[in-house]
Amino acid sequence: MSSQAPAPTTPHPSPARAEDEPEATPFKLSAWLSTQGIVIFTIALVLFAVVFVDGFASLPNLTDVFNRAAPIGIVAAGMTFVVISGNYLDLSVVAQVATAAVVLIAVTNAVGLLPAILLAIAIALVYGLVNGVAVGVFKANAVIVTLSTTFIGLGLLRWLTGGSIYFGDSDGPIRTFGTTRIGPLPLSMVLFVVVTILLSLVFTRTNFGFMVRAYGSNREATRLAGVNTPAVVIGAFTMSALGAMLGGFVLAAFSNTAVSSMSDGYDFRALAAIIVGGTSVFGGRGSVMRTLLGVVFVSVLTNIMVLTGLGFGFQQMAIGLLIVLAVSVDALARKTRSS
Amino acid sequence: MSDKEPGVPPSKTSSETPVPVVEGRGIVKRFGGTQAVDDVSISVVPGEVHGLVGENGAGKSTLMRVLAGVLTPTEGEVLIGGQPLDPGDTRAALDAGVSLVHQELSLVPEMTVAENILLGSTPTRAGVIDGRTQRRIARAALEEIGVTVDLDEPISRLSVAMRQFVEIARAIARQPRVLILDEPTATLTPAETDHLLATLQRLADTDLAILYISHRIPEIFALCDRVTVLRDGKLVIADEIGNYTPDSMVKHMVGRELQLDMEHRRVEPEHGEVMLSARGLKAPDVNDVDLDVRAGEIVGLGGLVGAGRTEIVRAMLGADPRTGGETTVTLDGRRRRIGGYRSAVHAGIAYIPEERRTDGLSLTMTVSDNIALPNRSSLSKGFVLQRRRIAEFARSLAETVNLRPPEIEREVGQFSGGNQQKVVIAKWLGRRPDVIVLDEPTRGVDVGAKAEIHRLIRELADDGAAVLVVSSDLPELLELSDTIHVVRDGRIVGVLPGVGTDEAAVMALAAGQQEVDAA
Ligand SMILES: Nc1ncnc2c1ncn2[C@@H]1O[C@H](COP(=O)(O)OP(=O)(O)OP(=O)(O)O)[C@@H](O)[C@H]1O
Ligand SMILES: [Mg+2]
Repeated sequence: MSSQAPAPTTPHPSPARAEDEPEATPFKLSAWLSTQGIVIFTIALVLFAVVFVDGFASLPNLTDVFNRAAPIGIVAAGMTFVVISGNYLDLSVVAQVATAAVVLIAVTNAVGLLPAILLAIAIALVYGLVNGVAVGVFKANAVIVTLSTTFIGLGLLRWLTGGSIYFGDSDGPIRTFGTTRIGPLPLSMVLFVVVTILLSLVFTRTNFGFMVRAYGSNREATRLAGVNTPAVVIGAFTMSALGAMLGGFVLAAFSNTAVSSMSDGYDFRALAAIIVGGTSVFGGRGSVMRTLLGVVFVSVLTNIMVLTGLGFGFQQMAIGLLIVLAVSVDALARKTRSS
Repeated sequence: MSDKEPGVPPSKTSSETPVPVVEGRGIVKRFGGTQAVDDVSISVVPGEVHGLVGENGAGKSTLMRVLAGVLTPTEGEVLIGGQPLDPGDTRAALDAGVSLVHQELSLVPEMTVAENILLGSTPTRAGVIDGRTQRRIARAALEEIGVTVDLDEPISRLSVAMRQFVEIARAIARQPRVLILDEPTATLTPAETDHLLATLQRLADTDLAILYISHRIPEIFALCDRVTVLRDGKLVIADEIGNYTPDSMVKHMVGRELQLDMEHRRVEPEHGEVMLSARGLKAPDVNDVDLDVRAGEIVGLGGLVGAGRTEIVRAMLGADPRTGGETTVTLDGRRRRIGGYRSAVHAGIAYIPEERRTDGLSLTMTVSDNIALPNRSSLSKGFVLQRRRIAEFARSLAETVNLRPPEIEREVGQFSGGNQQKVVIAKWLGRRPDVIVLDEPTRGVDVGAKAEIHRLIRELADDGAAVLVVSSDLPELLELSDTIHVVRDGRIVGVLPGVGTDEAAVMALAAGQQEVDAA
């Protein structure tokens, strides 16, 4: 088809009255919270931690925060595509992260690094395809599908590994990756930022990212615009799978060990980062960059709780509360936007 | 209705002092920088039918939503039966007898007709849904407006027009004192429109107050006692209808003399070879349809509500599954079978669906995103979208369809109904399609924009496109089409030339009063 727009022909006088007044959206708290809020909150939280929390602003502590944030952040960046496509979340990242970590260390030990990476990529593509086909082609519910693939994947992993822990070579490439620094920053953190920027470009600049957003906004209208919608869903789950794989690599490199239980809770922590960042669970709205902010927020918050001696149970509760809060704000914002 | 609410009986008593049933005083409604309604006062007394007209985006729907307590006015107050309404208290407005039938359908597709009619006031007994009462009330409401439909049918299986009637029945079931109808006839054919107008007249005679929005001026003159004209959110006229003629009213709506040579028929259009063709098409509600559209030809599909026009079109394009038959498209001498819907789009067919909000638009995306979607391949280099080209492309199309306000970076959901329809048209126009199928292309657009869309459709045909139009608006169908196929029971029951055919001829065929076997 020709890409030419038809020559603009207007018999009516061009009405430009509504442009007289610039953007002066009335202040709606929930809408503001869900779009701008995260920036302010993140800055405020970091300032708070710097000033009031003992030991936060030390290099060893910040390195630790970065090291923990990086794998979650990469997982969340990939999963953002699934959320924006209107398919809620990809629970199977838990299985995928652990599988990638175990494959990276165990297969590198047995055969070598390259085969390990290739195998992990193949596994990620299978995850993306299975989740994507079930959800995009057969229209199954994403939560149920990915809960099931988590079971399949984790079950398989535990069955094959017997739950054993794998240790990397103490001076192998994985160890090197895990300990390399660029300036004060761990390599994993740099990787996280690079991956986020890359995925963000995919989301905002490419045809694929655009179709994911359109699909999340209105599936039927997107289908009727001639978009191959099953492929879009498969693509979104594949992005999530590749993110989970990289996250698994980073996680394995960090400790130079891998075990099938190492990614427990990654599903919800990634989701927390995405939603707190302001990406809508209703689909169609959000961005990868927001997820980056969400990751920083959730990581700093967790670190504050650790430093102030609040136990794991409390942290878990706090993340739960945070999700409920963010989802409510999201729902409220959606309502006020339409009236 | 609801178990303890006494409900307000249709008032037949207060005839001496006509207290307005509903009244808006100095209503102002702003959305961000847009002044949607600007200091408008309006009132209706029992038994009055009050028309509300104005161009797309004039503020009609917004004003009505304020009166019904759906929107909170920025300034001004709403009185119901003389009592001030808490701003934005939808429930109170409902209980006080204000019933609004929205411009856009608001039924729950998965629920049945009966469930939908009683939605929000489902009768219960000790917390358990009282199915029998629910059905009784639903049946009574449907009878009141003279419509027969299976109470247990899910809404998703009904035609858009039938949904419109269910929507009205739902408003009636609440026993309103004032009924607000926002473009209720936009999806109806003349026969159903007449039926609805007669029903409304009868209801008004029982002292119901009616507020009636329409872009079809003849309806306003046929039905209304008084009329309010809005332009750019401001009140232009509030007066007895007898003081105006259709022409003078349009002039007040538009604010200037509108040059509309209504008869725009194409003179001796040239038809080429068959470009779009269906043979033995079968699908649910589609029975063995053969249909050809030639290059340069505008074919219209006419018929009553539920006749199966939309179903035929969707089956033809593969948008809904077919059970038999095939569709082919011939482009540049190459004949291709249309399997699934995507192959239809790839073959160069543009399809403007009937339901803009569910099928035509992504409401949370901007105008420019919506326009870019079907044109994405030509607006990207490799995988990368070209933002600047998209903006230019969208801007010029928005101008072509005269989008108001012309802000392409605004979300589509924030535009008035008619302006949303313009975006759906703009989306596909940008492809300069060789084959274009339009289902209710001017649904909800104002007189001026309608003439403009007609001109664009004719222009496409003049350039050699094959055009298939479904329209319930019979004058529109007659004016646009070179050939009219009349549909009844999912079958084509007659083919009429566009020239020399009148409404009566189409209606007779559509209603089956005169059997012409052409298929
Ligand atoms: N939610 C919203 N956010 C921002 N602007 C809005 C919103 N809803 C309506 N508007 C604006 O208010 C103005 C009036 O819209 P309204 O829907 O009342 O028009 P209308 O007279 O009903 O038009 P139509 O004939 O097309 O249905 C328009 O300029 C529209 O863009
Ligand atoms: Mg309207």
